[in-house]
Amino acid sequence: MVARPALRAATRIARRQPVASTYSSHNFCTSTPTLRPSTASSSSTRDSSNGSTRTTHFGFQDGISESEKTERVAGVFHSVAESYDRMNDLMSFGWHRIWKDHFVSSLNPGYSSSIPPKPQRILDVAGGTGDIAFRMLNQSHVVNANPNIHITISDINPSMLAVGKQRSLSLPAAQQATLSFLEADATQLPATIAPDSLDLYTVAFGIRNFANIPAALAEAHRVLKPGGVFACLEFSKVGNPVFDAVYKRWSFSAIPLIGQLVAGDRDSYQYLVESIERFPSQDEFRGLIEDAGFVVGGKGYEDLTLGVAAIHKGMKPL
Amino acid sequence: MPPPRDLPRVLRTLCPARPHVLSPARNAFLSMTTFAPSRRCIATTAAAPNNAAPSTPKRKPLTKEQRDFLSSALRVNQTGELAATLIYTAQTPPLVNAHPHLRPLMAHMYEQEAGHLRTFNSLITKHRVRPTALYPLWSVAATALGWSTALMGREAAMACTEAVETEIGEHYNNQIRTLLEMFEQWEAEGYEVGDEFRDLIGTLRRIRDEELEHLDHAVEHDAKEARPYWLLTSIIRAGCRGAIWTSERV
Amino acid sequence: MAPSRALARLTLLRRAQQTALRRPYHSYDHPAPTGIFNAHEQAILSAAYKHVPEHGFTAQSLSLGARDAGYLDVSTNLFSEGPFSLIRYHLVTQREALAPRREAILADVTASTAVPARVERLTWERLLGNRDVNHRWQEALAIMAQPSHVPASLHELALLADEIHFLAGDTSVDPSWYTKRGGLSMIYASSELFMTNDRSPGFGNTRAFLQRRLAEAGSLSGAVGSVTQWLGFTASAGVNVLRSKGVRI
Repeated sequence: MVARPALRAATRIARRQPVASTYSSHNFCTSTPTLRPSTASSSSTRDSSNGSTRTTHFGFQDGISESEKTERVAGVFHSVAESYDRMNDLMSFGWHRIWKDHFVSSLNPGYSSSIPPKPQRILDVAGGTGDIAFRMLNQSHVVNANPNIHITISDINPSMLAVGKQRSLSLPAAQQATLSFLEADATQLPATIAPDSLDLYTVAFGIRNFANIPAALAEAHRVLKPGGVFACLEFSKVGNPVFDAVYKRWSFSAIPLIGQLVAGDRDSYQYLVESIERFPSQDEFRGLIEDAGFVVGGKGYEDLTLGVAAIHKGMKPL
Repeated sequence: MPPPRDLPRVLRTLCPARPHVLSPARNAFLSMTTFAPSRRCIATTAAAPNNAAPSTPKRKPLTKEQRDFLSSALRVNQTGELAATLIYTAQTPPLVNAHPHLRPLMAHMYEQEAGHLRTFNSLITKHRVRPTALYPLWSVAATALGWSTALMGREAAMACTEAVETEIGEHYNNQIRTLLEMFEQWEAEGYEVGDEFRDLIGTLRRIRDEELEHLDHAVEHDAKEARPYWLLTSIIRAGCRGAIWTSERV
Repeated sequence: MAPSRALARLTLLRRAQQTALRRPYHSYDHPAPTGIFNAHEQAILSAAYKHVPEHGFTAQSLSLGARDAGYLDVSTNLFSEGPFSLIRYHLVTQREALAPRREAILADVTASTAVPARVERLTWERLLGNRDVNHRWQEALAIMAQPSHVPASLHELALLADEIHFLAGDTSVDPSWYTKRGGLSMIYASSELFMTNDRSPGFGNTRAFLQRRLAEAGSLSGAVGSVTQWLGFTASAGVNVLRSKGVRI
């Protein structure tokens, strides 16, 4: 796991420099030209052909290789999988449920103006515990009376998928039948997901953990049908400076402490907080989505709770 | 210590719109370094004639920032000219009563200001810019300023004119500079500057020169003799800057 | 957190508020900036708009429009405001439709050159733009009255009032700029509401309602103007009397 003093130092450095400058859309996540010796790739468990020599960041630590980030994120989620939802409740005072409900009802999966309703194929990335997928099943089967959908829950982390599989057993059989699980890296989706095959690609509170966000967006663009929609729910930047100060104080001091008390794992929650801070702002992330070839409508995102979280949507043009 | 009255004079010399007679003594006081940005004016004015290139005229849509700048510029100019006409209207009766020889000068200055106000009134209507929301406040303030300085005497009234025109001259110069920067950028990108903007900058230059002429008249009529001169002018100039800042926004 | 970023964000926020207040400069020489809808939104909305008379300003219409334009059911997620986007599309297209028809609309009022007559004519024409969706307009008003949509709805209303005054040739540059537009906004909104319940042929009752409201506003602002004029006259007369008595003011 993470060495604490190193993390602290990184935290201090990151606080001192204006964070905005670290995210120009070009150097945001990877700095390819630095040909560093591929020490990390030897220890990589997941052989990603293009990822091993590129560097990214882990929380406030810079200059680690993408494969090492993948591995470390896996470590974080292995250790928090069991307590993940309980922690989310404590961290956001239960607000994450409201955000997720709103996210799913605004996407309105399964809704169709055609009779009979057209089938829909949905991929829920980084959705291991099934939070979003189960809501989408309910929205489609119950609210929109359209059982003709298929949802694939994908996650890089088998521990999180196991939690989701376990929970899915309590769903109605009809809903279980339209659900499948896939262990996959979102920056390199397997061939089982064909290009131009999906109606909807969702990722909720996951994309900031990806080693290479532009690559994941490009993958999303590849597998979506023309007219298909990429939708992302993620922590974002608070607009109101007063609320931002309060929120930063809360997240940096209280959340790691709660993690230590409830889950017995301070470092993993320290990482969660730092990764939220490092994630690009609403406008910058919209820029990344547009760079991947999506079109966005209006201002391109919707702020939730003054920008603590935001929903970004992009459509693959015809 | 450079007296403030020389400031607009320097600006005008650096951005000449038409030949203007200056005494050599005043001309000597040019400090190029202080107002380096305005040197740009000369360059662009000189470059304007070779715009007759045979390339097809293409014009760039205004960005949001440019549209915001233009609307706030026209709004604040209209407000300023409104205030100027009201100041002269309020100053004239008490002043002319006490010093009848000032009647033609006051009438001349008022006529010019009224002309400027008509110009900007038509411009804000044409370009769909809303007038300032604090219109009644500025009307009352300008009338009160004109009247009270006129009651304080000829020197105070002239000091008021001097202070107001100094601020306004500087303000117009800032606008002209921003417009020239816009033109420069367009021309560098290979776009054409429309007649609308050439006319606008011409209008701004003409009005700026007339305002600075009023400043000359005020100084010739003993504005510097007002007591306490520094207090009066610094209060009025601060008030003008505050009014400009507010009108640009509201 | 770096203070510079908080500051930058504050300026951004302030700028956003300011631009909402500002009326942007309108250029005749340079091309107009792009509209608020991009090409894909335009394609879906224009197709969906055809379904409004039957299905109202609803997700159903949007979805049918997406299908007609060759998109998927989920493509309607492009509109984060959902059915309100469809309402806004109606407001924007109807407002923009006035300018090209200005000559035709004002053809029969050239005799009376008064601005109020032209304002009445243009406002009536805009109300007639609601003709095809009038039976759905109460639903639309309900959506527009939702707190999250109120600012955008009021903004559209203000833009309409400004457009009408501009097309009518109004040249006011004093506070009456605000009172005229504010007054027309209220009159337009109430006429629109009146129209949703109007069953008279050709919406004759609505037109009579509109004309009554405009006449009331005209006589009110006329009265205010007269009082102001009288006050000004009295004050300057008083000052002149004092001056004639030798008071040095």
